[in-house]
Amino acid sequence: MIVAADAGNILTWIVWVGAAFACLASGVAVVTFRNPFYSALALIGNLGSLAVLYLLLSAEFVAAAQVLVYAGAVMVMFLFVIAYIGHRFETPWAGGPTWQTVGAVAAAAAIFIEVVVAVGLKAGGRLSHSEKVDRAFGSPAEIGRLFLTDHLLAFEITSIVLLVAAIGGVILGSHSRAAEEVSA
Amino acid sequence: MTVGAWICLLAPLAGAVAITAAGTRISRVTAAWISTGSVAVAFAGAIVAFVDMLGKNPQNRSHISSAWTWLQAGSFKVDLSVLVDPLSVFMMLVVSGVGMLIVLYSIGYMHGDEEERRYFAYMSLFVFSMLMLVEGGNLLLLLAGWGLVGLSSYLLIGFWHERPSAIRAAKKAFVMNAFGDATMALAFFVLIAHSNSLAFSTAFTTSGHLSSTAVNLVALGLLGGAAAKSAQIPLHTWLPDAMEGPTPVSALIHAATMVTAGVYLIARTHVIFEHARTIQLLAGGLGALTIVVAGLIALVQTDIKRVIAYSTMSQIGYMFLAVGIGTYANGMFHLMTHAFFKALLFMAAGVVIHALAGEQDIRNMRGIGALMPRTKWAFLAGSLALVGIPPFAGFFSKDSIIAAAMADGWEGWVFWVCALIGTFLTGLYTFRLYFLVFRGEPSPFVREHHHSDHGTEGPWTMMLPVGILTVLAVIGGWIQFAPFWTPITRWLAPVAPTLPSAEPHRWMELVASIAAVLLGLAGIGVAWLVYERRSLRVPRARSVQRLFEHKFYFDELYDSLFYKPAAALSEWTRRGFEEPVVLAGGTELGDDAQFIGRGVRRLQTGLIRTYALALAGGLAVLAVVFIAVK
Amino acid sequence: MLGPGVSWYLGIAAFLFGIGALGVLLRRNPLIVLLSLEIMLNGSNLALIAFSRQHGNGDGQIFALAVMAVAASEVVVGLGLIVSLNRKRLALDVDKLSTLRG
Repeated sequence: MIVAADAGNILTWIVWVGAAFACLASGVAVVTFRNPFYSALALIGNLGSLAVLYLLLSAEFVAAAQVLVYAGAVMVMFLFVIAYIGHRFETPWAGGPTWQTVGAVAAAAAIFIEVVVAVGLKAGGRLSHSEKVDRAFGSPAEIGRLFLTDHLLAFEITSIVLLVAAIGGVILGSHSRAAEEVSA
Repeated sequence: MTVGAWICLLAPLAGAVAITAAGTRISRVTAAWISTGSVAVAFAGAIVAFVDMLGKNPQNRSHISSAWTWLQAGSFKVDLSVLVDPLSVFMMLVVSGVGMLIVLYSIGYMHGDEEERRYFAYMSLFVFSMLMLVEGGNLLLLLAGWGLVGLSSYLLIGFWHERPSAIRAAKKAFVMNAFGDATMALAFFVLIAHSNSLAFSTAFTTSGHLSSTAVNLVALGLLGGAAAKSAQIPLHTWLPDAMEGPTPVSALIHAATMVTAGVYLIARTHVIFEHARTIQLLAGGLGALTIVVAGLIALVQTDIKRVIAYSTMSQIGYMFLAVGIGTYANGMFHLMTHAFFKALLFMAAGVVIHALAGEQDIRNMRGIGALMPRTKWAFLAGSLALVGIPPFAGFFSKDSIIAAAMADGWEGWVFWVCALIGTFLTGLYTFRLYFLVFRGEPSPFVREHHHSDHGTEGPWTMMLPVGILTVLAVIGGWIQFAPFWTPITRWLAPVAPTLPSAEPHRWMELVASIAAVLLGLAGIGVAWLVYERRSLRVPRARSVQRLFEHKFYFDELYDSLFYKPAAALSEWTRRGFEEPVVLAGGTELGDDAQFIGRGVRRLQTGLIRTYALALAGGLAVLAVVFIAVK
Repeated sequence: MLGPGVSWYLGIAAFLFGIGALGVLLRRNPLIVLLSLEIMLNGSNLALIAFSRQHGNGDGQIFALAVMAVAASEVVVGLGLIVSLNRKRLALDVDKLSTLRG
């Protein structure tokens, strides 16, 4: 943890702290806000801070994709739907059986702790040492090369998944329109 | 020789199969003639075998002809084979000859019955089974024939299956015979254990090497089977009830052939019995006991067929006596003459029953002799043969047995006394029957119910066999007149030689003949005085009479010994085990499954959050497991 | 590398995952549930990228991109469902949507 105090390092730390704080805060915000619109906005913030973190980890392409695809397309869609549905306050924040709440908190806490412990135990001392990477690491060229050589199958299957989702979306949309015409 | 034997065996089977396969496509009469024809072909085959055998040297007369290997289990092999030797040919002739006559008789007797085809198929099946029994080339085929005759007997006793009494009688016969089958099978197991084969020769040589316990067990098992099949005490209670079957069935199965199978068995396996002398004498003792007991019971019977049935039991007692002391040829000779005159008596009785449209109570039949003279003379001839009056058939065979008994040591004297008492009783009950039924003025019942068959006493299919058998009952005994000429003893000598201890001296023969004839005549005389002249009254002894009428309470004894405990046990098992444990267990399983299902149902809350919680919880647990394991 | 070590990033990823799980398990509005689900996915993405950096291997980034594509597809379908619910005038409350109850 104690590293050479040069300017690059300190700057990195400062950026990291800021992005980390924003990430955590927006995460909590997403889960706790009552208004889904605000939650969605908080999620956009979360995605943005994550993009910053990705940049710090030399994953430039992923960061860009995150902002463009996730924050740009997916969240816009979310906001569309939330706006379309309108503001419905009658949904309670949480509730249901007490054991559900207690169990939920316990399970989430357990998972968090276990992930930390597991990774900590298994990784041993190796986590402190990171490989040196060159400038091509995380670049679009590198990602593209990997997609088209080592992980071609994943690439193709992912495109099929997207196609299926698109079809599903169309079907879901058309079904409800037909049902509405019948019931109207 | 063997060709004749195979034809003899298979012809009745072919007849039975043909009748069964043709079903209702053939008329009833056709079925009847197919059956008769098949048994006639069997008789022809037996004659061929006999003639063939006559031409051969006496040492050379035993042949086993195998068709193929029937069973094989490791080194244990059983062939499908027939044994052709003097004893089996003798039995083949008797069975197929008398069988042919009786099946012919059945055509007239069963005419008009709805299920005639079934009857004739069963009769052919029976003849085949009996022939398989006597011709079987090894003990297993003998046992197969044994079981099949038991089956045919069951089928034929219960032929009129709408009658509950007939069904009960058939079951009783089958169950008692099954007991005998079981003891025989146990005897065979002992033989297989020691010699790994059921061929006759192996069994006989092995029995010489067995320990005395083992050979006694084997002989006892065989005796059990023989006693059951031949209705000797204590396994005799089924025979009187078997009279529920049609009269030709009683004649063929329960007089001439099946019930004599026990005698044949002991004669065939006499080697084993000679090694187990005690059991052999036991057989003789059972025979002697049956002679007397059956004779006593016959004195009080009022059903014409039952009198003749007890008479059969008594006469088979003579045959058991004979093979028990070792004079096998005389036993077989008596078997042959008995077949003639007993079948004759049954068939004559059948003519009377047929003419009176089914009446069997002798108290109603008085005086029918006046309306049916031919039947009366036939019955008289049969009765005289039965009592053993010379020159009729029974004299020659029965007296040889009685003489042989005298020769055989102290137990022989006991048997001798029993045999003589039997002769007296035979005369008494036989002529009681004759005088009550055939003599005197026709009773009103007879006048009312008698109907003649187009002017004759019965159809020719019934009268012809009666006539043939009358002739045989008169002259059939002359074939052997010990000690002057003994072709039968000589014929059977290679296979069943008489034991030296059973060879009577000349004076014994003389004494036996005179005593037996005198006692027989005395019995006839007493019967004449009581029933014909009415000068003697039947002595009134209530308890004795009741003892005889209840057949010495054997039925009641077996009922309380076997049936009642078995019924109680099954009732207890049902109430104590079947209902609470098995049935309740089943329903409880169902209830438990439903209970578990209801519990599991509670997991399906329908709430997504619960399922998600389950997922998360499972993940948490698995993470711990992975950390711990790895 | 500059800045904090990989373990710090992993800590954030774990926290995000836990917070997302809490949201999924606790909230009743299906929209919020979907958003929480997105949080969880992002948390695991962060972990992937961090390990990719630590090993110097681009595979983790490829995986993260695939996850993003799948997440997008799943959001499409989920939002389609919510819109259908809305059209049928059903309550947007996961606890009320329990007709699959056993």
